[in-house]
Amino acid sequence: MRLADQATFGPTESLVTTIQAQGISAWIAAQMALNSSRYTSGNGGEVHQYTGSGDFCDGKGTTCWRDWSSTEPLVWDFYRNALTQPDQLRQRVAFALQQIVVVNNLEVSGTYGFRLYYNNLIDNAFGNYRQVLKKVALSPVMGDFLNSANNDKAAPNENFARELLQLFSIGTCELNPDGSLKAGACTATYSNDIVRSYAYAMTGWTYPAGGATPWGCWPAGMNCRYYGGDMIPVASYHDANERKLLSGVTVAAGTAAAPAMESVLDSLMAHPNMAPFIGKQLIQHLVGSNPSAAYVTRVASAFNSGKFQSFGTGVKGDLAATVAAVLLDAEARGDTLGSRNAGKLREPAQMFTGVLRALNGQSDGDALSWWWGDALRQHIFRPPSVFNYYPPDYPVPGTSLVGPTFGIHSANAALERLNYLAYLLDWGGSTPSASVPSAVGTQVDLSAFVTDAADAAKLVDRLSLLALGQALPATPRQKVIDAVSWWTAKTDATNWKTNRVKAAAYLVFGSPNYQVLR
Amino acid sequence: MKTEDLVMNAARRRWLLRGGATLAGALGAGTLGNLLLNATPAYAADYKALVCIFLYGGNDGMNMIVPSDDARYNQYAGVRTGLAIPKASLTPLGGVSYGLHPAMAALGTAWTNGHLAPVFNVGPLAQPLTKAQYRAATANSPILPSSLFSHSDQQILWETGSSDSLTRTGWGGRASEALATVNPVISVAGTARFGLTALQTPLVLPGPGSTFGAYGLQASDTWAPQLARKAAIDALYAQSQDVAIGDTYTAMQRDAFAMSARLSALVKTQPGEAGASAVIDAAFASLIVGGKVTTGLGQQLYQVAKLVAGNATVQGNRQIFFASMGGFDTHGNQIVTGSPLEGDHARLLKELGDALAAFYAAMQGLGLGSAVTSFTQSDFGRTFAPNNSTGTDHAWGNQHLVLGGAVKGGATYGTYPDLVLGGNNDVGQDTWELQGRWIPTTAVDQYAATLLGWFGASDGQLDAVLPNLKNFGSARKLAFL
Repeated sequence: MRLADQATFGPTESLVTTIQAQGISAWIAAQMALNSSRYTSGNGGEVHQYTGSGDFCDGKGTTCWRDWSSTEPLVWDFYRNALTQPDQLRQRVAFALQQIVVVNNLEVSGTYGFRLYYNNLIDNAFGNYRQVLKKVALSPVMGDFLNSANNDKAAPNENFARELLQLFSIGTCELNPDGSLKAGACTATYSNDIVRSYAYAMTGWTYPAGGATPWGCWPAGMNCRYYGGDMIPVASYHDANERKLLSGVTVAAGTAAAPAMESVLDSLMAHPNMAPFIGKQLIQHLVGSNPSAAYVTRVASAFNSGKFQSFGTGVKGDLAATVAAVLLDAEARGDTLGSRNAGKLREPAQMFTGVLRALNGQSDGDALSWWWGDALRQHIFRPPSVFNYYPPDYPVPGTSLVGPTFGIHSANAALERLNYLAYLLDWGGSTPSASVPSAVGTQVDLSAFVTDAADAAKLVDRLSLLALGQALPATPRQKVIDAVSWWTAKTDATNWKTNRVKAAAYLVFGSPNYQVLR
Repeated sequence: MKTEDLVMNAARRRWLLRGGATLAGALGAGTLGNLLLNATPAYAADYKALVCIFLYGGNDGMNMIVPSDDARYNQYAGVRTGLAIPKASLTPLGGVSYGLHPAMAALGTAWTNGHLAPVFNVGPLAQPLTKAQYRAATANSPILPSSLFSHSDQQILWETGSSDSLTRTGWGGRASEALATVNPVISVAGTARFGLTALQTPLVLPGPGSTFGAYGLQASDTWAPQLARKAAIDALYAQSQDVAIGDTYTAMQRDAFAMSARLSALVKTQPGEAGASAVIDAAFASLIVGGKVTTGLGQQLYQVAKLVAGNATVQGNRQIFFASMGGFDTHGNQIVTGSPLEGDHARLLKELGDALAAFYAAMQGLGLGSAVTSFTQSDFGRTFAPNNSTGTDHAWGNQHLVLGGAVKGGATYGTYPDLVLGGNNDVGQDTWELQGRWIPTTAVDQYAATLLGWFGASDGQLDAVLPNLKNFGSARKLAFL
């Protein structure tokens, strides 16, 4: 059950049975072999090839922007895959990666480009982090988002260079292998001249060929905005001076853009920060917000050696080895139960899917974006900036700990978490929308639990076992049973059993025991 | 139960009990309606509110307020080139040699009234800092703020009033604590660090029209199965948790129930509705379409205006609010090439200026103008020299605005940077680094101390809330309040 919360979008009764039968390590290995989820919805690159008069969407109906420019079609895919596709661990790792190498649909648009970007993350979820970074650095969506596309050596834009260093690879402070700050304070990892050196080294890339506008393409020699492939080098815009990077790597004078980019990646992969910086964030996304120093060290070691038990290729940056180290660690598997520092506030998306999966539900994702995603500040593909929905080090008041998800949690969010349950259970969720292809709405199916509803205690315990891995504590358990037991054949002759399931599910999934993962 | 939990619970009880004491009366009909009489409400005699508006991404203060004397305008235009705001288009600020970006023309009235003050070249500092000291300092010298030019770190420094980005609590939160305000910082823009204390998060409220409450579990939900469900929820959230973050989670949930009981009706009110204030609606009229406030910051400040006017419900004679806008990280498309008055930055400044002006007018109309002071914060200023993508990169010291009836406006404060690349204010010296990143000449601490001093903090409290303030000697505050 714990593994299912860490490695999938939520336990179901059959999944828990499968993991128990297969064994944890074998189940993880089997998961890594699966690769079935893909982003497929939404339209193509014509939105960046329009040379007619007026706006591309003129005369194309009210869903034109949604289907050609926005990430909404990908939200449908995200939630459908999370609920139904078997490659759950791959999706969870891709979801973690998309919260590290962040792009968003607030500042750039073009559905087909985001589709490529996120499919790359799914594809490389158990590949090598160097390849993840390379695809990110060459992505025209990222290039547009952080201004590395069409970046000119004459006055280079620093945006991508800075965030590549700060967010995607090594961070601003020197780290020990266990993820803690060297000497307990922030020793800067790089100075502003290093940022500029990276910016210079990565000048001279433009969009892949294929884009067009009514006004031609600008600046001269660069391609029009187009997201259908990797960016390509343009020699005349690429800086030709020697540039000193981190880790003792130097880009020699006259180096072309493509080999300069390899040097950039080399310098980052060689940096001692990368393994603990990326490893710790993977732990935080999959397992717990405050891993012990020893746990981070073990995961960082797997990242560096590229090998963990039977997992990984032995090449530094291997994500299969790293993820296996995250999930198979004793700390993930339960030896910190009872530690005050354990736990993670469930991310809103994890809660959306967790309840739906446990209650045999289905969703096309349509209600989980502008409605519930915004209400809980985790609208997939629309984090407010490259800094994701929340920082990895958000302080949890009343403790000395951090809790990334607390960065979007509040009194209002606390109430909205319960309201999501009221929506699914009491309001019946959403019916399919006529404007969403192959819509299924967002609904749970309680029938499997109605069979136990005559016995309120049995029902509550069955749901608790599924959601929490154990029964609720005795005092609140009795109150929950009391609330469930209000419904009888006398109070509602027709629906009393279903109403019991609704009441029980609301309370079990609304409990702090469920919302805060242990 | 651990000591930290006991302390937390004690703080929480104080907050909730004070707040809830007059709950029944506060929600009585006509509370806001009484303000329509347009007289200064009785509580104004000892009421003060601070409203922080954080401009996430790093606002380009160099284009928000521009020198208008020929010599400096020419320096400005010479470096800014295509990004420069044409001099003739600036909104003039009478009496001083500066003009505002024309997208902020709505603030002209506040300037004329003497209620708007620009503050120049403010930024995080550990102590007064010269260029020579900056250049000589090692990368990790304590005389330098940590992780300069990084969004997340510089946001934290502005929000925490610190030079160390490992600081966990915000200066707004610490001030609320020091002054024992009834409510924590109230945020209409998410869980920003500005309002965090060691024990509490800011109280985050949703926008006008939103339900701040749990459906089926509110005071009006008195059907037996609802009551049974609420009793079970209460029992679940009364349980001590095995993990520390679980205890914070349950405490936040309990607070949420208590605060929603008190504030949900006020939060939900939209323009023109029964409980709405005609004065506030009139002030925001230009931003209201079809009964709703149209812009993001407009909605937030409309909400703050209601919370100020609804003080009988909100409680307390000192309140700090937090609002924000995003999108100021204008590395590219800051302007439309060839049209410097169009583009992302103009759009952002218009939303900012319009919302600030409406909020200011609402406070004036309520007779609370001199009781409420608004001010901007932002990650950092942006490079004076543009980059190649019609944008600007991360810098440091920045121009800010303070607005309100108590502000000694119609004048500027702080020292405007010397507009020379590689000059005394620029961190840069070598050719590769001549982008114009200004070393601040006023610290966030001094800016905050001025605001908090007006708000009622004693010198001792200021030193406690702003630990670096002592490094600035007698120059603890500016004169804008």
